Amino acid sequence: MKRLRGLVAGLVLAALAGGCGTGPKKTEITLQRFFGECGAVYGHSIDVGAAEGECGIVTTLINRFQAENPDIQVDVNVVAWPGYPQLTAQIAAGDPPDLVTMHQSVISDYQGRGLLEPMDGVLGEAGIGPEAITPAGLRGVTKAGHLYGMAWDTIGGLFHVNTRLFAQAGLIKDGKPILPTSADELLVQARQFKTRTGKPYLVQSEVSDAASFVRNFYGYVMAQGGVLFADRRHSRFATPEGARVVQLFRTIEQEKLTTLNQDTPAAIASFMNGEGGIYPTGTWMIGAFDQEAKTTGRPLSGAYAVFPYPHLWGRDAAFVDGHAWVMPKRVRTAAERAAVVRFLKFMAAHNFDWTRTGHLPAFRAVYASPEFRALPHRSDIAPLAAIGVQLPGYVQRQSAIQGLLGEELTSAVTGTKPVERALRDGERRVDELLDQIP
Amino acid sequence: MNPRARLSPAALVAVTIGAAIMLAPLLWTILLSLKANSELMRDTASAFSGPYTLENYRAILVGSSVTHWLLNSLIVSLGTTAGVLILCSLAGYGFARLDFPFRRSLFVFVLLGLAIPEQAVILPRHQLFAWLHLHNSYPGLILPGLVAPFGVFFMTQYFRAIPVELDEAAMLDGASRFTLFWKVLLPLTRPAQATLGVFTFLGSWNDYWWPLISATRSARFTLTVGLASAQMNYAQTSGLGFLMAQAVFASLPILIVYIIFQKQIVAAMAGAAVR
Amino acid sequence: MTGGRRDRLAGFAFVGPFLALYAFLLIYPLFMGIGLSFHRADLFGARRFVGFENYARAFADPIAWQALWNTFKLTVLIVLPLTAITLALALALNRATRGAAIFRGIFFASSVLSVTIVTLIWRFILTPDAGLVAKIVTTLGGTPPPFLSDPNLTIPALAITTIWWSVGFPMMLFLAGLQQIPADMYEAAALDNAGPWTRLFKITLPSLRRTLILVIMLQTAAQLQLFGQAQLLTAGGPSGASRPVVLLIFEVAFGRWELGYAAALAELLFLLVLSVTFIQYWAVGRAAKEER
Repeated sequence: MKRLRGLVAGLVLAALAGGCGTGPKKTEITLQRFFGECGAVYGHSIDVGAAEGECGIVTTLINRFQAENPDIQVDVNVVAWPGYPQLTAQIAAGDPPDLVTMHQSVISDYQGRGLLEPMDGVLGEAGIGPEAITPAGLRGVTKAGHLYGMAWDTIGGLFHVNTRLFAQAGLIKDGKPILPTSADELLVQARQFKTRTGKPYLVQSEVSDAASFVRNFYGYVMAQGGVLFADRRHSRFATPEGARVVQLFRTIEQEKLTTLNQDTPAAIASFMNGEGGIYPTGTWMIGAFDQEAKTTGRPLSGAYAVFPYPHLWGRDAAFVDGHAWVMPKRVRTAAERAAVVRFLKFMAAHNFDWTRTGHLPAFRAVYASPEFRALPHRSDIAPLAAIGVQLPGYVQRQSAIQGLLGEELTSAVTGTKPVERALRDGERRVDELLDQIP
Repeated sequence: MNPRARLSPAALVAVTIGAAIMLAPLLWTILLSLKANSELMRDTASAFSGPYTLENYRAILVGSSVTHWLLNSLIVSLGTTAGVLILCSLAGYGFARLDFPFRRSLFVFVLLGLAIPEQAVILPRHQLFAWLHLHNSYPGLILPGLVAPFGVFFMTQYFRAIPVELDEAAMLDGASRFTLFWKVLLPLTRPAQATLGVFTFLGSWNDYWWPLISATRSARFTLTVGLASAQMNYAQTSGLGFLMAQAVFASLPILIVYIIFQKQIVAAMAGAAVR
Repeated sequence: MTGGRRDRLAGFAFVGPFLALYAFLLIYPLFMGIGLSFHRADLFGARRFVGFENYARAFADPIAWQALWNTFKLTVLIVLPLTAITLALALALNRATRGAAIFRGIFFASSVLSVTIVTLIWRFILTPDAGLVAKIVTTLGGTPPPFLSDPNLTIPALAITTIWWSVGFPMMLFLAGLQQIPADMYEAAALDNAGPWTRLFKITLPSLRRTLILVIMLQTAAQLQLFGQAQLLTAGGPSGASRPVVLLIFEVAFGRWELGYAAALAELLFLLVLSVTFIQYWAVGRAAKEER
């Protein structure tokens, strides 16, 4: 079998080699990212400053790098969010890309199996030392004492607020929206909001969006000092802390204090069209919502504010994550490695541009820069960096866990399962998964 | 039941409603594709009235990979179709006309393949192709489609239906086995080739799971995988018109081919039932 | 059939290329898959023989049972209506008029679209905020049904989408079957003054029996393996309420990396498809016998 395999592989390689012409010597690197495909709008634009949103900014950044480095050929692979099944298939096929965007919470999955390159050396060559990176970013990419990615931002859940509706609901004080300080108060305010405006207090994407339920759950359990993962093999969801959080969202759902049955696109459209008070979603929407707020004649015109999740229990805490550029393990030539170094250096230098999406910077220097401080809403959301917590580093398979737990939380919140049972089922399914990790 | 008779009014109404259900989604898609994205973001009902624009289609020509994915789909589908027709004709002729050891058992062995669903082999096949470095290549996308036991069965039946006297006459004229196959019998199987060809082409064109895990680089994305990757959550909010324009644009070539060759395709499809 | 040594060699030359590919790309992976299913195998290498552990796990896994039940519901909800609708269409459109030809064209057109496009189109038919159905229902003063999020509606939503996509081919099979019925059978019936319903039940349907079984057989096998629509339209949700077995296999393999378990689930589905196929072959055989 082995000999046959070699023979066929040899033949195929020979065919491939014969097929390729001998063009000018360009170093080719493959880069895989999510954030969407928007070539139609940004095509070959290199005007990073004019681009808006995650997709626009990352597209123009890569175009710009390409234009400034004509000796490097960057093949961009856009995958549907979050792209991990494809990456997994690629690694299993022995043909991963050179650089991949990865959530920091997911790094340990691949790193734990030895599928990622430690990047201390590469980052050092690019002139990026650990001291340049924010504590949150550093925590996110450091595994087993090595850097396994270049942190690129910190992301987290925020309350995006429609201040016009809040005023109508009588929930504005000194020009600032009044946010609740406890779960009971949240319900009182939500009911008041609904009576006065006739609209739901929350806009939520509940369909095909495991991430949003999980974000709420992790954040508020951690705020209560609850333990989510006892060790690398055991989850703990069916706790009083967990039940309290889910019950709150269940009550909101039962009393129809939220939009119902919306997926992410529908929820975004709803919030932009002024159909609800608060949209709890991530940092990534700040840019787009701010754009709406600045445009005249829109429901959101001049009526947008954004804050970290309010303190409802215990202490301030929010579940945060971040994006990073990682290098899957594969054979690379010196030229390819050098190209990767230049790319990372370029991306690090343009970290500010990326923060215009709404994400918090991964580099300390950007935090301190006047241009970052001049961006709208940044002082309101700045606490996120301080109160942000991640899951313990020993928790592997976080992306798969999010899918399993998200399913159970959806069941509990929408009422197809009792809260207690959903949490226990979530625990059982996640433990089963953790048990399979070699 | 007179084939020339008119439909009864009740049946006509039912069929017309059915046709409306078939067409409404397509019309809705076309309307959405003709609207500015920003208008759709506020309310998709705006698609029912103007102003309409071709902006989304212009955007495709400027900076979308759809044309590239279309080309990949075409290469893969045509490659698969050609391969299946060749392999199945050869095998069908062999099983129908030639005598060789284990002919019957081998035929039964092939028939067993009819009962093997793709998902029983797709995971190991993914590993196999990884060892052979076949992922993200056209051969990697085409080869699995070539294993078509149904095609062999279908062609064998067709060859069997051709009178053996033809062979004998040709052999008397001194034709070789291959000449006989190539010059005399193969042309007679043209209707069967058309049926199998249309089948294979559509199957390959619509294949989703295998390209999803094998063609993971955008340079090798087929239409199904490429469009799936473009259907990002946020794209559905901010770029709905563009997304729909891509869908229309990607469907057009095959719809046009279908409309032009409708008669032949329908006849070819019908051929499958009469075996 | 003429024999001889040359023929023997020629025989292998003709069937050889197909057989080689067949053995290498279908039979060999089939056995590889069976082997994998007896291992605790991680997608990235680590492998340990565990006997029937994966199978035992599957039988004890409520998620696997849920997926199986979903698959069953989907199959029934698609195959039965699809067969009835396409049979009715074929009966109505089996005429030589120009109108019938146009209708046939319309009903077949959706079959040439790819699954990604079909699901994209139907998402914006069914989604309760932006979809076509929602726009119509809201105009009429109603509340749009949450097709893509209500656990009782997601499977019907997948079924509707699939039926819309698949009417073309079965309709063609029935039309072809109808053309095989000799005209003199109807002429004889006309002499007996048989009404249209009598003709339908006494002549048309019995003559179509083989086509009917063929359609049901092909569709059942196809729908047991439904994947793309569920992955793209509902992602199997909410909470797995519309997740068919094949989507579960995909998630277990490429999301959870548990290759051995995924292989075991695949083998179980294979057994199911196999038994359905054999039951149907048996039914075809019986039908053929009765026809004689």
